[in-house]
Amino acid sequence: MKITITLRGSLLKYFNGDKERVVEVPDSCTCEEALATVGINWREIKSFGFVAINGKRVMIFDQLKEGDELKAYPRISGG
Amino acid sequence: MTMLGYQNKFLRIDLTKKGAKTEPLRMDWAEKYIGSKGLAIKYLYEELKPGIDPLSSENKLLLMTGPLTGTPVPCSGKLSISAKSPATGTINDCSIGGHVGIKIKFAGYDAIMFEGVLKEPGYVLIEDSKISFKDAKDLWGRGSHEAEAILAEKYGHEYSILSIGPAGENLVTMSCINSDYYRQAGRGGIGAVMGSKNLKAIVIKGTGGVKAANIVETTKRIVEILHEDVLQEDNTFIFDCGTTAFLEACNDGGILPVNNFSDTTDERWTEYNGDVLLEKRAGKRGCGSCGLGCGNFLKYGNAICEGPEYESIAVAGPNAGIRDPEAIVKFNQVADDVGLDTISAGDTIIWAMEMTEKGIHDFGIKFGDKEKMIEYLYLMAKREGVGADLALGVKLASEKYGGTDFAMHVKGLEYPQYEPRGSWGMSLAYAVSDRGACHMRAYAPNEEVFAASIPPYTPEDKGQMVYNLAEHNAVKFCLCICDFWGTITMEIMAEMMTIVTGKEWSVQEMKDVAWRTIQIARAFNQREGFNRKDDTMPKRLAKEALKNGPAAGQAIPQEAFEDMLNQYYNVLGWDENGMVPESIICQL
Repeated sequence: MKITITLRGSLLKYFNGDKERVVEVPDSCTCEEALATVGINWREIKSFGFVAINGKRVMIFDQLKEGDELKAYPRISGG
Repeated sequence: MTMLGYQNKFLRIDLTKKGAKTEPLRMDWAEKYIGSKGLAIKYLYEELKPGIDPLSSENKLLLMTGPLTGTPVPCSGKLSISAKSPATGTINDCSIGGHVGIKIKFAGYDAIMFEGVLKEPGYVLIEDSKISFKDAKDLWGRGSHEAEAILAEKYGHEYSILSIGPAGENLVTMSCINSDYYRQAGRGGIGAVMGSKNLKAIVIKGTGGVKAANIVETTKRIVEILHEDVLQEDNTFIFDCGTTAFLEACNDGGILPVNNFSDTTDERWTEYNGDVLLEKRAGKRGCGSCGLGCGNFLKYGNAICEGPEYESIAVAGPNAGIRDPEAIVKFNQVADDVGLDTISAGDTIIWAMEMTEKGIHDFGIKFGDKEKMIEYLYLMAKREGVGADLALGVKLASEKYGGTDFAMHVKGLEYPQYEPRGSWGMSLAYAVSDRGACHMRAYAPNEEVFAASIPPYTPEDKGQMVYNLAEHNAVKFCLCICDFWGTITMEIMAEMMTIVTGKEWSVQEMKDVAWRTIQIARAFNQREGFNRKDDTMPKRLAKEALKNGPAAGQAIPQEAFEDMLNQYYNVLGWDENGMVPESIICQL
């Protein structure tokens, strides 16, 4: 299935500065698996924050469906 | 052993007698609390009589630096300004950036305590060891920005200034202290404490320095840490975007509040997002010793302010039903100038909007009334018309007019702009914060929302999580380190203390400092009559489920909240009523 992966902030470097890419991923894959298809292993990125599907924060293990936008954020801190 | 970094000098200014004297800093206390927040609370715990009126001459206003202040340690330019709060009756330590802390240190002091009351409005001029008491009749009644401009013109920019606006003069219990046009000690009515002392401003210049243990090694290591840790992209986003970076994350994270916390997640967030706001950036400014420089000045037509920070954008934006960047900037500018805390003033106005819309009481303002929102700030600062009621804050105003279920506060301090139904730990963090609802004591979204794998909608393990966050921040604030050095670890903080003071500090000792600081703040409040009954969450959070965003359907069951409270008390060794036992108090 096709989804759009959007990266924010310092994570943009993983797309060489591009904000988003449309990618083909296995049906019903998780956010973690979808990111892995573009070479992003979130566990190895110290500054990795959280993910959202269609603008709503989800758990990294939640599943995607056709046409979703998966957005990944770096950690932010402060208040 | 003697610790360097300190000036070992505590300046006590008697406003009633117009006199000043110095005494040695209590180094036995500094060894237990380091400086800033912790040491300030220890001094006030020892010196303030329980039960005093915070706006009486018996309250004391304490400016407290730390051993790192004035050194090149990155992000160490913060200053604690503390007193008993007139808003809550609790201890209230505020953290303010800018350059005043460094000027205090360079003038030769670790701390300055203001006692008593000036007979007439005045300001205090501190030039190293010379203390002068000046007449402020011509400044009284003027906005903070104008008063600071007059003083800066008179003395020059080598001097730093703390000032209050009309709100502080009129003892509005949500008034702030401003500094050098752009920074605020915002919360808990700290400006009213200054106003109650007839103290319009503090003007300070220092020409000395700070001794570190080994200046060559200290400087070398600080430069290494600056490059290895501070200037990493995890922190430098704050230079590019300031706290506007939080808007999108909070919106998608389900914690950006809408219409007085009646919901979260605003479909129109792109209208006032950082990308939009920063197109109007007119300037940048950082605090002393800062490696990150988060300050942004935005200019829209006649509206200009430093910021607006996330808090001000949210409260004068979606939480007020407003999506106009110029109106948000103007709100921030006016609030700073009249000397009102944007969070508390904003929250009180948006509560009034809901009261009017629900027909409970007509305050003459509804969601989206952007011009009135700004107009009401002037009225609140002067306590005129509808402003007289709104200057009470949401707790007292709701006790007078109703609407207590959606009066968003803890202990009389209004809620910051992070919706707890999307981050359950935040309801606990607000409830147990030492000065009422404050997001700077433990910032739960860091773990529950901005991390990929911690579930936000459960009470499980939240007591320990909130304590861990509070412990980390307590050390940071005892060291005067800015919150935006987000990657700083306990190990780095211990190392910074070791190389500057010359005394070996371990991580465990830093944790002990945090533990004592949290305990003594609680002990102060306990002595004022606070206990579990005051560690509350607004009823709205339990009664109303969110309708939109990732946290749609979420409310926080009261029993889940009580569970989190019990967990937190257990971590701290408090009893079921949230009381610090004597066995702990005697160690503080």
